[in-house]
Amino acid sequence: MQHSEIEKIKSDFDQEIENASTAGDIEQVRIKYLSRNGIITKLFVELKSISGEDKPIFGRLLNNLRNSATESFHNKKSIIETEQSSKSTNLDFSLPGKSIKIGSRHILTQTLFEIKSIFKGLGFSVYDGPELESDYYNFEALNFPPDHPARDMQDTFFISEKFLLRTHTTPVQIRIMEKEQPPIRAIMPGRVYRNEAISSRSYCMFHQVDGIYVDNDVSFAELKGTLVSFAEQFYGEGLKYRFRPSFFPFTEPSAEMDITCYICKGKGCRVCKHSGWLEILGCGMVDPNVFKYVNYDTEKYTGYAFGMGIERIAMLKYGIDDIRIFFENDLRFLKQF
Amino acid sequence: MKISLNWIKDFVNLDGISVNEIVNKLTMSGLEVEDYVDQNEKYSGIIVGLVKDVQKHPNADKLTVCTVFDGKNDLQIVCGAPNVEIGQNVAFAPIGTLIPKGKMEMKKVKIRGIESNGMICAEDELELSDDHSGIMILSDEFSTGTAISEALKLNDVLLEIAITPNRPDALSHIGVARDLSAIFNRELRIPKLDFQESQKDIKQLATVEIEDKINCPRYSAKVVTGLAIKESPEWLQNKLTKIGLRPINNVVDVTNFIQHELGQPLHAFDLDQLAGKKIIVKSLTEELKFTTLDSKQRVLPSGTMMICDGNREVAIAGVMGGENSEVTESTKNILIESAYFNPTSIRKTSKKLQLATDSSYRFERGTDPSNTVFAAQRAAQLIASIAGGEIAKGIIDQYPVTIKQKEITFRLARMKKLLGYEVPKSEVIKIFQKLGINLLKDMVESLEVIVPAHRPDIEREADLIEEVARISGYEKIPVIEKVSITLHKRKDDFDLEDKIRENAVGLGFNEMVNNPLILESDAKVTGSPIEISNPQSQDMAYLRTSLLVSALPVISNNIKKGEKDLAVFEIGNVFKRLNNRISTFSDFEEKKKLLFIITGKKQSRQWYSGETEYDIFDLKGLINVFLSKFSLDNVLNDSYNSIQNINYDYHFTINIKDSVFGDGGKVSKSVIKIFDINQSVYSFEFDLEIFRKLSGERRTFKELLKYPKVNRDFAFLFDKSINYTLVKDFILKESSEILKSVELFDLFENKEISKDKKSMAFNLEYYDYNRTLTDEEVDKDFQNLISKVSNKFNAILRGK
Repeated sequence: MQHSEIEKIKSDFDQEIENASTAGDIEQVRIKYLSRNGIITKLFVELKSISGEDKPIFGRLLNNLRNSATESFHNKKSIIETEQSSKSTNLDFSLPGKSIKIGSRHILTQTLFEIKSIFKGLGFSVYDGPELESDYYNFEALNFPPDHPARDMQDTFFISEKFLLRTHTTPVQIRIMEKEQPPIRAIMPGRVYRNEAISSRSYCMFHQVDGIYVDNDVSFAELKGTLVSFAEQFYGEGLKYRFRPSFFPFTEPSAEMDITCYICKGKGCRVCKHSGWLEILGCGMVDPNVFKYVNYDTEKYTGYAFGMGIERIAMLKYGIDDIRIFFENDLRFLKQF
Repeated sequence: MKISLNWIKDFVNLDGISVNEIVNKLTMSGLEVEDYVDQNEKYSGIIVGLVKDVQKHPNADKLTVCTVFDGKNDLQIVCGAPNVEIGQNVAFAPIGTLIPKGKMEMKKVKIRGIESNGMICAEDELELSDDHSGIMILSDEFSTGTAISEALKLNDVLLEIAITPNRPDALSHIGVARDLSAIFNRELRIPKLDFQESQKDIKQLATVEIEDKINCPRYSAKVVTGLAIKESPEWLQNKLTKIGLRPINNVVDVTNFIQHELGQPLHAFDLDQLAGKKIIVKSLTEELKFTTLDSKQRVLPSGTMMICDGNREVAIAGVMGGENSEVTESTKNILIESAYFNPTSIRKTSKKLQLATDSSYRFERGTDPSNTVFAAQRAAQLIASIAGGEIAKGIIDQYPVTIKQKEITFRLARMKKLLGYEVPKSEVIKIFQKLGINLLKDMVESLEVIVPAHRPDIEREADLIEEVARISGYEKIPVIEKVSITLHKRKDDFDLEDKIRENAVGLGFNEMVNNPLILESDAKVTGSPIEISNPQSQDMAYLRTSLLVSALPVISNNIKKGEKDLAVFEIGNVFKRLNNRISTFSDFEEKKKLLFIITGKKQSRQWYSGETEYDIFDLKGLINVFLSKFSLDNVLNDSYNSIQNINYDYHFTINIKDSVFGDGGKVSKSVIKIFDINQSVYSFEFDLEIFRKLSGERRTFKELLKYPKVNRDFAFLFDKSINYTLVKDFILKESSEILKSVELFDLFENKEISKDKKSMAFNLEYYDYNRTLTDEEVDKDFQNLISKVSNKFNAILRGK
C-alpha cells in the first residue's frame, strides 16, 4: 500500500462524486467505493496485512479517507434530493401566503382603553354604572334642580317621570360617593344618550369618560396638573392648552379645557371654527351641593371632576368626519382599526 | 347671543384695547365668543365712488362701461347693473379688496374684451341684504373716497357669545359691559334718566293688582299717553338689525331695545284695550284657548300665570302678549310692563306650551328684580322722545314680596384651598366692586359681601371664588407637577371586558358598538321592551332586549353592502321591563351582555382550499375555545342543554346553578326574516355578571406529562339515533382512570353501510402522570371498552 495509491483513490472518488448528477449516479459511486466490496472498504482488508510501525499511520489515513468520502457522499446526496424534489413539484414560491383571520376592537373601545390606561397610571380606579338611570342620580343629586334651564344643556330621553337614559356618565360619581368615603379617585367610562337631532356631528348615543378625585386638599391647581398630564400622554408632548371658565351645575368653579387644534396647529381652520383651539373636556371643582347630597363634609373635603366625549376625540385623532359611521358597524370600517 | 361692540361702548370705554384682546378676554372669563365679525375688516378697502360716465359696452348688450372716480383717479369699470347712472354715489370695490360675499379678491379682469378695474357693488355682495336687482345707490352727501364702513356706519364688531345658563345677567349689553369693566378695570357707565312727566297721575290712568304673589313678586309699570306709532328712527333700527332683530314700530322697538340693553323684558299694552284700565296678575283655574300676538291660538293649561285686564286675559305672563291688547298703528296710549316673574313658573309655562321667546328665555334664567323700575322709566323716556306723547306722573310698582339680596362670607384661606393659589385681597376687593358685589365688612382673613340682585347664580362662597378666578384669569392658577396617588382600593370594573375583547379579537371577531335604541317590533323578539317616552323616531323608540336584536339590522346592512361573511361581537347593556310602571329600579332589569355572531363563509375560495360555510359546530368550537381562555373549560362540555326556543332552530343554553350563563344557536328562519336576512346566522349571548363571578377562579399550573401517551382507535357502526356525547360519556365512565381523553376523529354515514346507521371513530388517549403504562393494561381496558360499547349501544365494531 502506498500513500500515492490512497491519494489517487481520494481524487478519483472526489471527481466521480462531482460528476454524479442523479440519485442513481451517486448510488453507483457509493457502491464502487463504500459498499462491502467497495474500493475503500477493501483497503481496510489490506491493512490487516501491514505490520510494524506503518500500520497505525495507514490506519489513520484510511479512516480519514473513509470519513471524508462518506461526508462528501451525504452532502452530494442531499443536494441532489433537494433539486429533485423542487423540480418534480415545480413549487411556485411567489404564491400568496395562506390567510389567517384576526379580529379587531372597535375604534371607540380602543380609544376608551387608551384613556383608561393613562388614568390608571395616574392612580385612578375605573367604575361602571347603569345606563337607565333615575332622575335623582342623573340630575337632582348633581345639582340640576327640577325646572332649571341647566337641564336644557342635555336633551334627555325619558322612560318615565323619574327614569331616563343617562345623559352623562357623571351620575356614577354619586353612586361611588354614596358607597365610599374619600379619598376617591376614579374614572367612569360608558355610553350616554342625548335626544339631539342626528347629523354628521351629533348622534343620539355616544360615549363619555367622567372622572372625580375627592380628598382633604384637592385644588384646581391639581386638576390642571392632572389633566395637562393626561393631554400630553394622549395627544403628545409639547401641546398648548388653555382652561377657560364655563358652567356645569355639579362643579364650581367650572372650566373647559382647549388644546391647540392639531389640524391647523392653531392657525384656524374649519375643524376648530377658525379659533385655533379645540375643546376636549369640561371640568371643575366639585360643587358643595353635590357633596351635600352624598353627606360629605363640605368644609373638610374638596374635589375635582372632569368629563370628555370619546367620539369627538376619536374623530379628531383618526380623521373621521361623520359620527354615524361609528354605529353603522360596516365591516369595512371595523376592519380598518 | 349677538352683541354689538359699539353698543357695549355706550357703557364702558374700551379705547386702546384691540378687538382680538376683547374677544380673547371675554372667552377666557367665561363669556365664550363663538364667532365674531369685525365690519371694519369685512368692508376694508371698499369706498364711496362717483360714477362720472356710463357708455354702452361694445360687445355686450346688458353691460355698460363706466368711469368711476375713487377720489384720486378715474377708473374704467365694466358694470352689469341696469340702474347705474352718471352722477351716482356707489359702493366701489377697487382691485385688491375682498368682496364680503364669498370672500373673493377683486382682480383686474377683461370682461368681453374690455378691461375692468374693480366692481360697483350690490347690497347682496356686501351682505347687507339678499338684493341683487341692481347696484346700491348711496346718498350724495358722502364725499368720494370715504370708506364705506364709515359712510354706512358699518364699523361695528358683532360678537356671537355663548351664554351659559347660570349667567342671565350677561344676556344684555350692559351685562357684558359689566364683565368687560371688571376684566379691563374700567368704569361702567349706567345710562342716566332724563325725562319730563305730565300732570296726569298714573294712578288715575291704570291700576295693577297681583294675585299670584309667589310667581310674580314684582310688577312695575309706566304709562305714556298721546303717542304716535310709526317707524323707529334710523339709529334705533340700526341697533336692532345689527343684532339680528327686525324693527317693527317705535314702541315695540324700544321694548326690544331695553331688553337687549338692560336684560329686562318689557311688554307694551295698548292701554285703551285694557278693560277697566286694570292689570291683574293671576293663574288660570281652568284650561283656556288664547290667541297670542303671533296670531296663533294656543291651549293654555290650568295654572298658567296670566296678565289679565278687568275682564279677560291679555298676555301669557313673561312669555308672550295677547293679540287682543297688542300695540297697533292706531294705538295712542300705552302701559309698559316691567316685571319680575318667578323663573320656575315661566319655565314650566314655556316648556308646556313649547313656546320659547326672548322674554321667557330671560325670565326663566332669572332677571334682576331690582331693575324693573329703572327699565320702565328708561323705556318711557325713549318712547316719549321718539313717538311723542307724555309720560304720566309717577310709577306703579307692586312689590309685595321683597327679594332679599344675599350676604356671603368669603374666606381667603378657602379660596387658596380650592384654587391652589392666592389672589391678593386688594385684587379680590377690586374684582368684587367691578362686578357690583359690595363689601360690607373687611374682617382681615375674610370678607363679608352682599351680592347684587342681577347675579342670582352667586349664592355661596364657592360662587364668589369662581368670580375671582375667572376675572383674574384661570391661566394664573398654577399647573401642579406632582400629585400623591391613592395606593389602596384600586379597581377596574372593565378588566373582564378588556380580556374578553382581547380573546375575541384573537379568534377573528370584529367588535361592534350598536345603538341600543331600536324599533318596537325588533325589541319584542327577545323580551318585554322598555319604551322611550319622547323618542326621536319610531326606529329608535325602544330599548334592546338582547344584543342580538340590535345587531341583526347591522348584520343585514352589511350583507346588503356585500359584506356577507361576518364574525362579530359586542359587549353592551340590554334592558327588560319587569313592571308596567317604571318608578323604581326593581321595575326593570339592565344587564351587561356579550354577543358573538357568525354568518356566511368561514373560509372563502382560496388557491389552497375550497370555501366552507360557518355552521353550528363552528359556533360551538369558538365558544369552547373562547371559554377555555377564562379557565372555564369544564363549564361547557359538549352536552349543551337543547331546549325549544322560538328564536332558534337549534338552541343551546349553559346554565350555572339556576341562572342562564349563556344561550344561543342557529337563529331561526322566522327571526332572520324579520331582519331581511337570508343566510344562516349563528349567535351566542353571555350574561357578563355571571361571567365575572365564574372567571374569578384562578388557573393553576399543571405539571407537564413526563411519561409517554398511548393511543388506540376504534370505530363502530351505531344506530343514527345514538348521539356522540352519549357514547363519549359512556366510554369515559366505563374505562379505567388511565384513559384521559376521547375524541371523535371520523364521522361517516352513507347508504352503503346502511341508511339507519352511522360510523363514529374514536381516538382514545391513555397516560398516567406517575408512570409509563404497559401495553397489557391499555389493551385490557381497550378490549373491555369494545365489548361494553358494543353491548350498550348495539354497535358493531368496524375494521376487524
